[in-house]
Amino acid sequence: MVGLSAGEKNFIRGGIEQDLRADGRQRQDFRPILIETGVIPQANGSARVRFGATDVIASVKAELGKPNPLQPGRGKVAIYVDCSPTAAPAFERGGGEELSTELSAALQKCLLGGKSGAGAGIDLSSLMVLEGKVCWDLYIDGLVVSSDGNLLDALAAAIKAALTNTGIPKVDVGVGASPDEQPEVNISDEEFLQFDTSAVPVIITLTKVGREYIVDATSDEESQMSSAVSVSVNSHGKVCGLIKRGGAGLDASVILDMVSAARHVSQKLIPLLDSEIDAAEAASLAGQGSDVDP
Amino acid sequence: MRDLHLQQLRLNQTQRVRLQTALQKLQDVSPSSAAATVAVADNIPVNHEDGVLKGHGTSELDGQVVATLCGVVERVNKLVYVRTLRARYKPEIGDIIVGRVIEVATKHWRLEINFSQDAVLMLSSMNLPDGIQRRRTATDELNMRSIFEENDVICAEVRGFQHDGSLHLQARSLKYGKLKSGQLLTVPPYLIKRRKQHFHHLENYGVDLILGCNGFIWIGEHVETSNGVMEGDGGNKVEESNESSSHSVPLGEKGQRLMSLETRQHICQIANAVRVLSTLGFSLTTEGILEAAKASISLGINTKDMLGAEFHVQTAEREVGRRMSLLRKKG
Repeated sequence: MVGLSAGEKNFIRGGIEQDLRADGRQRQDFRPILIETGVIPQANGSARVRFGATDVIASVKAELGKPNPLQPGRGKVAIYVDCSPTAAPAFERGGGEELSTELSAALQKCLLGGKSGAGAGIDLSSLMVLEGKVCWDLYIDGLVVSSDGNLLDALAAAIKAALTNTGIPKVDVGVGASPDEQPEVNISDEEFLQFDTSAVPVIITLTKVGREYIVDATSDEESQMSSAVSVSVNSHGKVCGLIKRGGAGLDASVILDMVSAARHVSQKLIPLLDSEIDAAEAASLAGQGSDVDP
Repeated sequence: MRDLHLQQLRLNQTQRVRLQTALQKLQDVSPSSAAATVAVADNIPVNHEDGVLKGHGTSELDGQVVATLCGVVERVNKLVYVRTLRARYKPEIGDIIVGRVIEVATKHWRLEINFSQDAVLMLSSMNLPDGIQRRRTATDELNMRSIFEENDVICAEVRGFQHDGSLHLQARSLKYGKLKSGQLLTVPPYLIKRRKQHFHHLENYGVDLILGCNGFIWIGEHVETSNGVMEGDGGNKVEESNESSSHSVPLGEKGQRLMSLETRQHICQIANAVRVLSTLGFSLTTEGILEAAKASISLGINTKDMLGAEFHVQTAEREVGRRMSLLRKKG
């Protein structure tokens, strides 16, 4: 990563203080958001999300598996994030692994709720096929293609879009099998169940630079941060998760302030994301249609 | 490659059509360049009787000269070569460039300038802060970091190539030197044409605009060159020898002097104008940049919305209008 000179640092810090950032945004403005869905044909659902120069892809792969004996009524979801070495020079030769682990853990915390499954953005019981026997395992993979800050928010948005795009095949369970045996299942090729993603939260990262905090920081701005708080908020304005990064400590009142700011921002972001995802879904359907009859 | 950048815009259907028409028109009004462009493996027509010298980006295949690069075919007497459109910066002597210091070494600084190798700025090829012409002593060498530190953005001129192929810079005037309080943008170098003037003081805006030939563009608060551009960072080290300079505002770690909001607004406006033009692949001239910035004001577009799709389309359409009127004047 190329460093910044003192003059540039002052410019960025001053801009945040004066509420006018380097690209003309205010502290609580996002960069233009661009969403495409259905970018990976082999996956059950996929999406590509761009926040300015930040570019991430998320894919959802569904496989049949056995539920955890402790939680027989629930499916399983695994989230894994990979930082492509092409995204930034710092990610070369395994340099992105630490960040990948950090992002994966953060997303798991924000989207999957606690150990009991409470507060999960993804309804795990909807992944159930036959209690205690068969369930869907969702493998959610995120890939950072190009990194210009605010990866977590972009990944969360991409996962939300990919889940909206996901179609899970309908499964018929063979009857008559004895209780001990694994039942026979018949996966439908035609019928797909859509996933309800209205409960999937968005993540809003507030990056603290100087006295103020900003949303959707670029990597230049992130280099100046003292700490960052990522708040995941669902469409009801409920906070689903909170993660703090960065070395500097934060006063409790500041965190509460940031949480309320994040909730305020989410009121604008969630409808925007939803309409973008709907538009992307419509576009990808139209694209498929034109492929069939050229 | 233009398409690649434009993908990043969220164009709706009508905007896409408008943009495509505008870009098509631009291609139609400049047909001369289209004829000479080649892609990889394209045939380059040559007259073999006169003898041909195959230059950069060409190769011979079955008696034909073919291109090995994408670009424009250039011919100088017998020499035929391909000038690539999108490549790293190729320095020429006298170019004004903006670069970033990556290393402070013995008697020289190494600079990243988007060239295939790092450039070298010798301590002996720049003016000392006190402005006296003399031999550089060991003390000067020890104080090099008070002039430029790592990561500093500086402006210099290409002095020439050494025998070993390394590139040397010089900064022998007060207009060269460290650039403070502003932002650095990186654009493809082919968008910046060599001109007489690369330093621009935009007086109406109070902004300095430096279009480095290497594709690095500096947009910052205007600095009076007479007060010495070579002032050190933090002002304390160099100002000891430069006490006459005006430093009424103390520079501290926290209590940084803030530039006026108006100036900052102008810097952001001009920076976004540069971003829009470079996304569209239009060459960057002061007039073009200022025109785009003015248009955003007259259209009442917020600075941040300049990066949106609508302003890109409008800029493309304005460029068509400009070129058309130029053609009409000629014809």
